[in-house]
Amino acid sequence: MRLLGALYAARTPAKEPVHFQAILPLKLKPVVSGKGGKTSDVCCIYEMSVMFNCFKDNDFNQGLCGKEIEQFQNCYTNHLSTKRVRKEKELKGILNPGEKKMSAKQINTLLARHPNIE
Amino acid sequence: MATIKTFFSKSGLFKQRICVIKSCIQQNGMSSYPSFYINPIYKKEEQEQLKKEGELSKLTHVPTRAALNDQTCSFTQDPDLNLFTNYCMSDGKKVLARSQVEQTLESIKRLQLEKYHKCKTDEDRAKIELNPKVVFHKAVENCKPILQLTPIKRGGVKYQVPVPITAKRAQFMSMKWLISAGKEKEKPVRFHLQLARELIDASNNSGRVVKKKQDLHKQCEANRAYAHYRWS
Repeated sequence: MRLLGALYAARTPAKEPVHFQAILPLKLKPVVSGKGGKTSDVCCIYEMSVMFNCFKDNDFNQGLCGKEIEQFQNCYTNHLSTKRVRKEKELKGILNPGEKKMSAKQINTLLARHPNIE
Repeated sequence: MATIKTFFSKSGLFKQRICVIKSCIQQNGMSSYPSFYINPIYKKEEQEQLKKEGELSKLTHVPTRAALNDQTCSFTQDPDLNLFTNYCMSDGKKVLARSQVEQTLESIKRLQLEKYHKCKTDEDRAKIELNPKVVFHKAVENCKPILQLTPIKRGGVKYQVPVPITAKRAQFMSMKWLISAGKEKEKPVRFHLQLARELIDASNNSGRVVKKKQDLHKQCEANRAYAHYRWS
């Protein structure tokens, strides 16, 4: 009687493991979605701090800080123009050689150039 | 446009001719000109510049839009002053705004002439600018701010972040401040007189509006630690 109880308590033999079913094809999509986070657009911090230092030294008299102000404004206009050019390129999906930050469209054009092997 | 396109594509009508129809339907927003019409070049200096470069002959047979009402090469018209008039205007009363600006220029002339005749030496007289338009341009130039504060929310707290501004925005702020300074006055004082005083003060780099600009710069300086909190 004791033996029988011991036999019942023993582990049942292992079941066949769950079979893997490939529901989706086992490869990455050839495209990325266009949902990207907004990147921060901070520019001209150094020029700004130089200008503020000049302002502080001259009691906020702009006439004595002409050079610093011009540098700051040039920096900002340059930033705006480069941003505009980059945005145009990104919208069209034109690739810039050597650029690390790319838009979704640019990545898609790059992926289309090097498709998955079927 | 989009609804028309979807209607045609759904109904299956004119499937081949959709390109033809598309070209007939206006595509340039609400403009009455097609998009290939170029803007007119109405300034004589620009025309001469183009002539020198040899670009003018290329533009002779390109379809061009008609010049707008305020696009003129006349010496009496100053684009900045016209813009200032438009900023002065309320409820579309352009005639009133124009007369106020003209009166302002007249009172600038009167005030400056008064000062001029009170001067005793030629050196003092040479310092006084008698052309009201020059005074106006100088005043606007002196009141232009370089930075601006924009509220940006980070972690539930709103920070006032200093950001650089474009030339156009700077001009707008300068003109707005000048006009609001002209409106801040006692009842019997007329707007054009107060505005003339403010413009003369600003052209000498002093007065309330220049003070306001400097205060803004001081605030920006105080908040410079938040400058890297920017998106935009």
